[in-house]
Amino acid sequence: MTAALLTLADSRLPAGGHTHSGGIEQAIAAGRVHDPSSLAAFLLRRLQTAGAVASGIAAAACGGADLAVLDAECDARTPSPALRAASRQQGRGLVRVGRRAWPSPVWDALPAAPHHPVALGVAAAAGGLAPRDAAAAAAYLSISGPATAAQRLLAMDPLTVAAVTARLSPEVDVVAEQSTSRATGSPADLPADTDPLLDLLAEVHTARRDRYFAS
Amino acid sequence: MITRVEVVARCGPGGRTVLPVVRASGQLAVRRTGPTSVHLVATAFGPLGGDDAEISLVVEEGARLTVHSVAAAVALPARDGEAASVQRVHATVAGHLTLAPEPTVVTARAHHRAELTAELADGATLDATEQVLLGRAGEEPGRWTGTTRVERAGCPLLHTTISLGPGAPAWLPPVAPRAYAATASIGATLPVATGQDAVRLPLDGGWSATAWGAELHRVVRALAALGGADEEVA
Repeated sequence: MTAALLTLADSRLPAGGHTHSGGIEQAIAAGRVHDPSSLAAFLLRRLQTAGAVASGIAAAACGGADLAVLDAECDARTPSPALRAASRQQGRGLVRVGRRAWPSPVWDALPAAPHHPVALGVAAAAGGLAPRDAAAAAAYLSISGPATAAQRLLAMDPLTVAAVTARLSPEVDVVAEQSTSRATGSPADLPADTDPLLDLLAEVHTARRDRYFAS
Repeated sequence: MITRVEVVARCGPGGRTVLPVVRASGQLAVRRTGPTSVHLVATAFGPLGGDDAEISLVVEEGARLTVHSVAAAVALPARDGEAASVQRVHATVAGHLTLAPEPTVVTARAHHRAELTAELADGATLDATEQVLLGRAGEEPGRWTGTTRVERAGCPLLHTTISLGPGAPAWLPPVAPRAYAATASIGATLPVATGQDAVRLPLDGGWSATAWGAELHRVVRALAALGGADEEVA
Protein backbone atom coordinates (compact mmCIF):
# COMPACT_ATOMS: atom_id res chain seq x y z
CA MET A 1 0.00 0.00 0.00
CA THR A 2 1.19 3.51 -0.72
CA ALA A 3 -0.25 6.91 0.19
CA ALA A 4 -1.83 6.95 -3.30
CA LEU A 5 -4.60 4.75 -1.86
CA LEU A 6 -5.43 7.37 0.75
CA THR A 7 -5.68 10.00 -1.98
CA LEU A 8 -7.82 7.74 -4.16
CA ALA A 9 -10.33 7.04 -1.38
CA ASP A 10 -10.32 10.63 -0.08
CA SER A 11 -13.71 12.29 -0.48
CA ARG A 12 -11.85 15.56 -1.18
CA LEU A 13 -10.39 14.16 -4.40
CA PRO A 14 -12.26 16.33 -6.93
CA ALA A 15 -13.63 13.47 -9.04
CA GLY A 16 -17.26 14.55 -8.81
CA GLY A 17 -18.41 11.86 -6.38
CA HIS A 18 -19.94 14.45 -4.04
CA THR A 19 -22.82 15.07 -6.46
CA HIS A 20 -23.97 11.42 -6.11
CA SER A 21 -25.76 9.89 -3.14
CA GLY A 22 -25.57 6.22 -4.18
CA GLY A 23 -29.33 5.84 -3.87
CA ILE A 24 -29.49 7.30 -0.36
CA GLU A 25 -31.48 10.36 -1.39
CA GLN A 26 -34.30 8.21 -2.76
CA ALA A 27 -34.03 5.72 0.11
CA ILE A 28 -34.61 8.64 2.49
CA ALA A 29 -37.48 9.95 0.38
CA ALA A 30 -39.06 6.47 0.45
CA GLY A 31 -38.69 6.36 4.23
CA ARG A 32 -36.27 3.44 4.14
CA VAL A 33 -33.37 5.37 5.73
CA HIS A 34 -34.14 7.66 8.63
CA ASP A 35 -31.76 6.97 11.53
CA PRO A 36 -28.28 5.53 12.21
CA SER A 37 -29.41 1.90 12.28
CA SER A 38 -31.41 2.08 9.03
CA LEU A 39 -28.45 3.94 7.49
CA ALA A 40 -26.06 1.18 8.58
CA ALA A 41 -28.39 -1.48 7.13
CA PHE A 42 -28.64 0.37 3.81
CA LEU A 43 -24.87 0.90 3.59
CA LEU A 44 -24.23 -2.79 4.31
CA ARG A 45 -26.56 -4.02 1.57
CA ARG A 46 -25.06 -1.48 -0.86
CA LEU A 47 -21.53 -2.58 0.09
CA GLN A 48 -22.31 -6.27 -0.41
CA THR A 49 -24.01 -5.79 -3.79
CA ALA A 50 -22.93 -2.70 -5.79
CA GLY A 51 -19.77 -2.43 -3.66
CA ALA A 52 -18.76 -6.04 -4.36
CA VAL A 53 -19.29 -5.58 -8.10
CA ALA A 54 -17.27 -2.33 -8.17
CA SER A 55 -14.58 -3.90 -6.05
CA GLY A 56 -14.14 -6.87 -8.39
CA ILE A 57 -14.08 -4.75 -11.53
CA ALA A 58 -11.61 -2.28 -10.00
CA ALA A 59 -9.29 -5.08 -8.90
CA ALA A 60 -9.37 -6.67 -12.36
CA ALA A 61 -8.78 -3.32 -14.08
CA CYS A 62 -5.83 -2.63 -11.80
CA GLY A 63 -4.47 -6.10 -12.51
CA GLY A 64 -4.26 -5.43 -16.24
CA ALA A 65 -7.39 -7.15 -17.58
CA ASP A 66 -8.81 -5.97 -20.92
CA LEU A 67 -10.53 -2.69 -20.05
CA ALA A 68 -13.14 -2.80 -22.83
CA VAL A 69 -14.14 -6.30 -21.69
CA LEU A 70 -14.41 -5.10 -18.09
CA ASP A 71 -16.48 -2.10 -19.16
CA ALA A 72 -18.93 -4.47 -20.92
CA GLU A 73 -19.02 -6.72 -17.83
CA CYS A 74 -19.79 -3.66 -15.73
CA ASP A 75 -22.64 -2.74 -18.09
CA ALA A 76 -24.10 -6.25 -17.79
CA ARG A 77 -23.98 -5.96 -13.99
CA THR A 78 -25.56 -2.49 -14.08
CA PRO A 79 -28.78 -2.81 -16.07
CA SER A 80 -30.30 0.36 -14.56
CA PRO A 81 -29.79 3.24 -17.05
CA ALA A 82 -29.69 5.74 -14.17
CA LEU A 83 -26.95 3.79 -12.39
CA ARG A 84 -25.03 3.30 -15.64
CA ALA A 85 -25.10 7.04 -16.29
CA ALA A 86 -24.04 7.83 -12.72
CA SER A 87 -21.16 5.35 -12.94
CA ARG A 88 -19.90 6.70 -16.28
CA GLN A 89 -20.22 10.29 -15.07
CA GLN A 90 -18.07 9.51 -12.03
CA GLY A 91 -15.69 7.51 -14.21
CA ARG A 92 -15.14 10.53 -16.43
CA GLY A 93 -14.58 12.75 -13.38
CA LEU A 94 -12.00 10.38 -11.98
CA VAL A 95 -10.13 10.13 -15.30
CA ARG A 96 -9.93 13.92 -15.44
CA VAL A 97 -8.25 14.25 -12.05
CA GLY A 98 -6.40 10.93 -12.21
CA ARG A 99 -4.58 11.71 -15.46
CA ARG A 100 -3.19 14.89 -13.86
CA ALA A 101 -2.39 13.24 -10.53
CA TRP A 102 -0.78 10.03 -11.81
CA PRO A 103 0.38 10.47 -15.43
CA SER A 104 0.79 7.04 -17.03
CA PRO A 105 0.29 5.36 -20.39
CA VAL A 106 -2.29 3.00 -18.82
CA TRP A 107 -4.91 5.77 -19.03
CA ASP A 108 -4.81 5.58 -22.84
CA ALA A 109 -6.24 2.03 -22.80
CA LEU A 110 -9.50 3.25 -21.19
CA PRO A 111 -12.64 3.44 -23.30
CA ALA A 112 -14.31 6.87 -23.54
CA ALA A 113 -16.44 7.65 -20.45
CA PRO A 114 -15.57 4.40 -18.65
CA HIS A 115 -17.52 2.96 -15.74
CA HIS A 116 -16.23 4.33 -12.44
CA PRO A 117 -14.79 1.02 -11.13
CA VAL A 118 -12.85 0.55 -14.39
CA ALA A 119 -11.41 4.06 -14.09
CA LEU A 120 -10.71 3.45 -10.41
CA GLY A 121 -8.71 0.31 -11.20
CA VAL A 122 -6.66 2.20 -13.79
CA ALA A 123 -6.07 5.09 -11.36
CA ALA A 124 -4.85 2.58 -8.79
CA ALA A 125 -2.47 1.00 -11.31
CA ALA A 126 -1.22 4.42 -12.40
CA GLY A 127 -0.62 5.31 -8.76
CA GLY A 128 1.48 2.19 -8.22
CA LEU A 129 -1.17 0.33 -6.21
CA ALA A 130 -2.09 -3.36 -6.23
CA PRO A 131 -5.47 -4.92 -7.21
CA ARG A 132 -6.31 -5.48 -3.53
CA ASP A 133 -5.89 -1.71 -2.95
CA ALA A 134 -8.17 -0.88 -5.88
CA ALA A 135 -10.75 -3.32 -4.50
CA ALA A 136 -10.53 -1.72 -1.05
CA ALA A 137 -10.96 1.78 -2.49
CA ALA A 138 -14.00 0.70 -4.52
CA ALA A 139 -15.60 -1.07 -1.56
CA TYR A 140 -14.99 1.88 0.75
CA LEU A 141 -16.22 4.44 -1.79
CA SER A 142 -19.44 2.43 -2.20
CA ILE A 143 -20.42 3.46 1.33
CA SER A 144 -18.47 6.63 2.17
CA GLY A 145 -20.20 8.83 -0.42
CA PRO A 146 -23.72 7.64 0.47
CA ALA A 147 -22.95 8.07 4.19
CA THR A 148 -21.93 11.69 3.68
CA ALA A 149 -25.02 12.30 1.54
CA ALA A 150 -27.24 10.87 4.29
CA GLN A 151 -25.57 13.10 6.83
CA ARG A 152 -26.36 16.17 4.74
CA LEU A 153 -29.90 15.17 3.82
CA LEU A 154 -30.97 14.06 7.29
CA ALA A 155 -28.87 16.67 9.13
CA MET A 156 -27.39 13.77 11.11
CA ASP A 157 -24.65 14.13 13.68
CA PRO A 158 -21.35 13.84 11.70
CA LEU A 159 -19.75 11.87 14.54
CA THR A 160 -22.54 9.31 14.40
CA VAL A 161 -22.24 8.93 10.63
CA ALA A 162 -18.46 8.61 10.88
CA ALA A 163 -18.93 5.88 13.48
CA VAL A 164 -21.48 4.02 11.33
CA THR A 165 -19.05 4.07 8.40
CA ALA A 166 -16.03 3.10 10.50
CA ARG A 167 -17.86 0.16 12.08
CA LEU A 168 -18.40 -1.29 8.61
CA SER A 169 -14.61 -1.53 8.10
CA PRO A 170 -14.46 -5.31 8.72
CA GLU A 171 -17.21 -5.84 6.11
CA VAL A 172 -15.37 -3.53 3.68
CA ASP A 173 -12.26 -5.68 4.11
CA VAL A 174 -14.20 -8.90 3.53
CA VAL A 175 -15.74 -7.55 0.31
CA ALA A 176 -12.35 -6.30 -0.93
CA GLU A 177 -10.68 -9.63 -0.12
CA GLN A 178 -13.34 -11.78 -1.76
CA SER A 179 -13.60 -9.57 -4.84
CA THR A 180 -9.82 -9.54 -5.31
CA SER A 181 -9.70 -13.33 -5.14
CA ARG A 182 -12.26 -13.53 -7.96
CA ALA A 183 -10.49 -10.92 -10.10
CA THR A 184 -7.68 -13.08 -11.42
CA GLY A 185 -9.70 -15.46 -13.60
CA SER A 186 -12.23 -14.86 -16.35
CA PRO A 187 -14.06 -11.49 -16.13
CA ALA A 188 -17.29 -13.51 -16.32
CA ASP A 189 -16.49 -14.86 -12.84
CA LEU A 190 -16.31 -11.42 -11.20
CA PRO A 191 -18.93 -10.73 -8.49
CA ALA A 192 -22.34 -9.83 -9.91
CA ASP A 193 -24.32 -9.29 -6.70
CA THR A 194 -27.36 -7.18 -7.37
CA ASP A 195 -29.96 -5.47 -5.23
CA PRO A 196 -33.11 -4.82 -7.26
CA LEU A 197 -34.18 -2.28 -4.63
CA LEU A 198 -31.20 -0.08 -5.56
CA ASP A 199 -32.19 -0.30 -9.25
CA LEU A 200 -35.76 0.71 -8.42
CA LEU A 201 -34.67 3.59 -6.17
CA ALA A 202 -32.27 4.85 -8.85
CA GLU A 203 -34.92 4.85 -11.58
CA VAL A 204 -37.56 6.54 -9.41
CA HIS A 205 -34.94 9.09 -8.33
CA THR A 206 -33.78 10.01 -11.82
CA ALA A 207 -37.38 10.82 -12.85
CA ARG A 208 -37.72 13.37 -10.03
CA ARG A 209 -37.29 17.09 -10.64
CA ASP A 210 -36.72 18.10 -7.02
CA ARG A 211 -33.56 16.12 -6.27
CA TYR A 212 -30.34 17.47 -4.79
CA PHE A 213 -28.06 14.68 -5.98
CA ALA A 214 -27.41 13.41 -9.50
CA SER A 215 -28.04 9.83 -8.33
CA MET B 1 -28.25 -37.00 -6.36
CA ILE B 2 -26.87 -36.08 -9.77
CA THR B 3 -29.42 -35.02 -12.37
CA ARG B 4 -28.59 -34.43 -16.00
CA VAL B 5 -31.00 -33.23 -18.68
CA GLU B 6 -30.17 -32.57 -22.29
CA VAL B 7 -32.55 -31.31 -24.97
CA VAL B 8 -31.66 -30.26 -28.51
CA ALA B 9 -34.26 -28.49 -30.65
CA ARG B 10 -33.64 -28.40 -34.39
CA CYS B 11 -35.50 -26.90 -37.32
CA GLY B 12 -36.80 -29.91 -39.21
CA PRO B 13 -38.59 -30.40 -42.53
CA GLY B 14 -41.13 -27.68 -43.28
CA GLY B 15 -39.83 -25.48 -40.46
CA ARG B 16 -41.20 -27.85 -37.83
CA THR B 17 -39.15 -28.10 -34.62
CA VAL B 18 -37.82 -31.58 -33.98
CA LEU B 19 -36.04 -32.77 -30.86
CA PRO B 20 -33.21 -35.07 -31.94
CA VAL B 21 -31.86 -35.26 -28.38
CA VAL B 22 -34.02 -35.67 -25.28
CA ARG B 23 -32.09 -37.24 -22.42
CA ALA B 24 -32.66 -37.17 -18.67
CA SER B 25 -31.23 -38.98 -15.68
CA GLY B 26 -31.58 -38.51 -11.95
CA GLN B 27 -34.44 -36.49 -10.49
CA LEU B 28 -35.95 -35.16 -13.71
CA ALA B 29 -37.63 -36.70 -16.70
CA VAL B 30 -38.50 -34.83 -19.91
CA ARG B 31 -41.84 -35.20 -21.69
CA ARG B 32 -42.65 -33.61 -25.02
CA THR B 33 -46.01 -31.88 -24.49
CA GLY B 34 -46.48 -29.88 -27.67
CA PRO B 35 -45.01 -29.14 -31.08
CA THR B 36 -42.32 -26.91 -29.51
CA SER B 37 -42.66 -27.59 -25.80
CA VAL B 38 -41.36 -29.98 -23.17
CA HIS B 39 -42.17 -30.39 -19.50
CA LEU B 40 -39.64 -31.33 -16.86
CA VAL B 41 -41.17 -33.91 -14.56
CA ALA B 42 -39.72 -34.44 -11.08
CA THR B 43 -39.25 -38.15 -10.50
CA ALA B 44 -38.12 -37.72 -6.89
CA PHE B 45 -38.96 -35.40 -4.03
CA GLY B 46 -36.63 -32.43 -3.68
CA PRO B 47 -34.09 -31.22 -4.55
CA LEU B 48 -32.26 -31.92 -1.28
CA GLY B 49 -29.21 -30.01 -0.12
CA GLY B 50 -26.20 -31.45 -1.95
CA ASP B 51 -28.20 -32.41 -5.05
CA ASP B 52 -26.70 -31.25 -8.32
CA ALA B 53 -28.77 -30.77 -11.46
CA GLU B 54 -27.49 -29.67 -14.84
CA ILE B 55 -29.86 -28.87 -17.67
CA SER B 56 -28.37 -28.36 -21.09
CA LEU B 57 -30.59 -26.83 -23.75
CA VAL B 58 -29.61 -26.25 -27.35
CA VAL B 59 -31.97 -24.45 -29.70
CA GLU B 60 -30.63 -24.38 -33.22
CA GLU B 61 -31.35 -21.69 -35.79
CA GLY B 62 -34.99 -21.63 -36.87
CA ALA B 63 -36.12 -23.87 -34.00
CA ARG B 64 -38.31 -22.95 -31.03
CA LEU B 65 -38.38 -24.55 -27.61
CA THR B 66 -40.45 -23.88 -24.49
CA VAL B 67 -39.48 -25.56 -21.24
CA HIS B 68 -42.06 -25.88 -18.46
CA SER B 69 -42.13 -27.95 -15.31
CA VAL B 70 -45.18 -29.82 -14.04
CA ALA B 71 -44.99 -28.72 -10.40
CA ALA B 72 -43.18 -26.42 -8.02
CA ALA B 73 -39.76 -27.62 -6.92
CA VAL B 74 -39.53 -27.83 -3.13
CA ALA B 75 -35.91 -27.39 -2.04
CA LEU B 76 -35.20 -29.18 1.23
CA PRO B 77 -32.16 -28.90 3.50
CA ALA B 78 -29.32 -31.37 3.43
CA ARG B 79 -29.78 -34.20 5.91
CA ASP B 80 -26.54 -33.17 7.57
CA GLY B 81 -24.41 -30.11 6.90
CA GLU B 82 -25.41 -26.99 5.07
CA ALA B 83 -24.79 -27.97 1.46
CA ALA B 84 -26.94 -26.11 -1.05
CA SER B 85 -28.91 -27.79 -3.79
CA VAL B 86 -27.71 -26.55 -7.17
CA GLN B 87 -29.45 -26.28 -10.51
CA ARG B 88 -27.46 -25.06 -13.49
CA VAL B 89 -29.21 -24.35 -16.76
CA HIS B 90 -26.97 -23.83 -19.75
CA ALA B 91 -28.72 -22.69 -22.90
CA THR B 92 -27.16 -22.24 -26.31
CA VAL B 93 -29.71 -20.49 -28.47
CA ALA B 94 -29.74 -19.60 -32.15
CA GLY B 95 -33.56 -19.84 -32.43
CA HIS B 96 -36.04 -19.04 -29.67
CA LEU B 97 -36.13 -20.36 -26.11
CA THR B 98 -38.80 -19.82 -23.46
CA LEU B 99 -37.98 -20.98 -19.94
CA ALA B 100 -41.04 -20.92 -17.73
CA PRO B 101 -40.74 -23.41 -14.89
CA GLU B 102 -43.10 -23.51 -11.94
CA PRO B 103 -41.93 -21.73 -8.74
CA THR B 104 -39.10 -22.92 -6.54
CA VAL B 105 -40.09 -23.10 -2.87
CA VAL B 106 -37.11 -23.04 -0.50
CA THR B 107 -37.99 -24.57 2.86
CA ALA B 108 -36.54 -23.59 6.23
CA ARG B 109 -32.76 -24.22 6.57
CA ALA B 110 -32.44 -25.14 2.89
CA HIS B 111 -30.22 -23.22 0.45
CA HIS B 112 -30.90 -23.47 -3.25
CA ARG B 113 -28.60 -22.09 -5.95
CA ALA B 114 -30.01 -21.51 -9.40
CA GLU B 115 -27.77 -20.59 -12.30
CA LEU B 116 -28.84 -19.69 -15.80
CA THR B 117 -26.24 -19.12 -18.48
CA ALA B 118 -27.67 -18.29 -21.88
CA GLU B 119 -25.37 -17.91 -24.87
CA LEU B 120 -27.31 -16.37 -27.71
CA ALA B 121 -26.35 -16.06 -31.34
CA ASP B 122 -27.13 -12.82 -33.17
CA GLY B 123 -30.87 -12.76 -33.81
CA ALA B 124 -31.69 -15.40 -31.19
CA THR B 125 -34.52 -14.65 -28.76
CA LEU B 126 -35.08 -15.61 -25.15
CA ASP B 127 -37.77 -15.36 -22.49
CA ALA B 128 -36.68 -16.71 -19.12
CA THR B 129 -38.84 -16.34 -16.02
CA GLU B 130 -38.21 -17.57 -12.51
CA GLN B 131 -40.40 -17.52 -9.43
CA VAL B 132 -39.17 -18.08 -5.90
CA LEU B 133 -40.92 -18.45 -2.56
CA LEU B 134 -38.94 -18.68 0.66
CA GLY B 135 -40.56 -21.05 3.16
CA ARG B 136 -43.85 -22.90 3.02
CA ALA B 137 -46.87 -21.50 4.89
CA GLY B 138 -46.04 -20.85 8.54
CA GLU B 139 -42.41 -21.80 8.03
CA GLU B 140 -39.14 -19.91 8.37
CA PRO B 141 -37.69 -18.82 5.01
CA GLY B 142 -34.90 -20.75 3.32
CA ARG B 143 -32.08 -19.21 1.34
CA TRP B 144 -31.98 -18.73 -2.43
CA THR B 145 -29.17 -17.48 -4.65
CA GLY B 146 -29.85 -16.99 -8.34
CA THR B 147 -27.32 -16.01 -11.00
CA THR B 148 -28.39 -15.08 -14.50
CA ARG B 149 -25.90 -14.44 -17.27
CA VAL B 150 -27.03 -13.68 -20.80
CA GLU B 151 -24.53 -13.24 -23.61
CA ARG B 152 -25.14 -12.40 -27.23
CA ALA B 153 -22.38 -13.16 -29.73
CA GLY B 154 -19.96 -13.44 -26.81
CA CYS B 155 -20.82 -10.04 -25.31
CA PRO B 156 -22.49 -9.98 -21.86
CA LEU B 157 -25.93 -8.34 -21.87
CA LEU B 158 -27.00 -9.14 -18.32
CA HIS B 159 -25.18 -10.67 -15.37
CA THR B 160 -26.79 -10.52 -11.96
CA THR B 161 -26.69 -12.52 -8.76
CA ILE B 162 -29.64 -12.11 -6.43
CA SER B 163 -29.47 -13.52 -2.91
CA LEU B 164 -32.55 -13.88 -0.77
CA GLY B 165 -33.16 -15.22 2.70
CA PRO B 166 -31.40 -15.05 6.07
CA GLY B 167 -27.79 -13.92 5.72
CA ALA B 168 -28.18 -12.45 2.23
CA PRO B 169 -27.23 -8.79 1.66
CA ALA B 170 -30.73 -7.89 0.53
CA TRP B 171 -32.25 -9.74 3.52
CA LEU B 172 -31.99 -6.81 5.87
CA PRO B 173 -34.51 -4.39 7.18
CA PRO B 174 -36.40 -2.56 5.85
CA VAL B 175 -37.18 -4.98 2.99
CA ALA B 176 -36.91 -8.74 3.42
CA PRO B 177 -39.02 -10.19 0.62
CA ARG B 178 -40.13 -13.83 0.84
CA ALA B 179 -41.33 -13.90 -2.74
CA TYR B 180 -39.43 -12.97 -5.88
CA ALA B 181 -40.04 -13.19 -9.60
CA ALA B 182 -37.92 -12.09 -12.53
CA THR B 183 -37.91 -12.21 -16.30
CA ALA B 184 -35.04 -11.74 -18.71
CA SER B 185 -36.15 -11.21 -22.29
CA ILE B 186 -34.10 -10.76 -25.43
CA GLY B 187 -35.90 -9.88 -28.65
CA ALA B 188 -37.30 -6.38 -28.33
CA THR B 189 -36.08 -3.45 -26.21
CA LEU B 190 -38.50 -2.02 -23.67
CA PRO B 191 -37.96 1.19 -21.67
CA VAL B 192 -37.77 1.60 -17.90
CA ALA B 193 -40.96 0.95 -15.95
CA THR B 194 -41.35 1.11 -12.18
CA GLY B 195 -43.98 -0.19 -9.78
CA GLN B 196 -44.35 -0.80 -6.08
CA ASP B 197 -41.41 -3.15 -5.40
CA ALA B 198 -41.08 -3.89 -9.10
CA VAL B 199 -38.78 -2.53 -11.79
CA ARG B 200 -38.22 -3.16 -15.48
CA LEU B 201 -34.89 -2.18 -17.05
CA PRO B 202 -33.91 -2.01 -20.72
CA LEU B 203 -31.16 -4.21 -22.13
CA ASP B 204 -29.50 -3.90 -25.52
CA GLY B 205 -32.17 -5.63 -27.59
CA GLY B 206 -34.22 -6.77 -24.61
CA TRP B 207 -35.30 -6.06 -21.05
CA SER B 208 -35.22 -7.50 -17.58
CA ALA B 209 -37.92 -7.16 -14.95
CA THR B 210 -37.90 -7.96 -11.26
CA ALA B 211 -40.60 -7.91 -8.57
CA TRP B 212 -40.47 -8.85 -4.91
CA GLY B 213 -42.72 -8.85 -1.87
CA ALA B 214 -44.42 -10.92 0.76
CA GLU B 215 -46.67 -13.16 -1.32
CA LEU B 216 -45.79 -14.87 -4.57
CA HIS B 217 -49.14 -14.41 -6.32
CA ARG B 218 -48.96 -10.64 -5.76
CA VAL B 219 -45.35 -10.53 -6.91
CA VAL B 220 -46.20 -12.42 -10.09
CA ARG B 221 -49.04 -9.97 -10.71
CA ALA B 222 -46.70 -7.01 -10.12
CA LEU B 223 -44.25 -8.47 -12.62
CA ALA B 224 -47.01 -8.91 -15.19
CA ALA B 225 -48.21 -5.34 -14.53
CA LEU B 226 -44.83 -4.04 -15.70
CA GLY B 227 -45.88 -5.24 -19.12
CA GLY B 228 -43.74 -6.73 -21.79
CA ALA B 229 -45.96 -8.42 -24.30
CA ASP B 230 -48.11 -5.50 -25.45
CA GLU B 231 -45.85 -2.49 -25.70
CA GLU B 232 -42.82 -3.51 -27.64
CA VAL B 233 -40.99 -0.56 -29.10
CA ALA B 234 -38.10 -2.50 -30.64
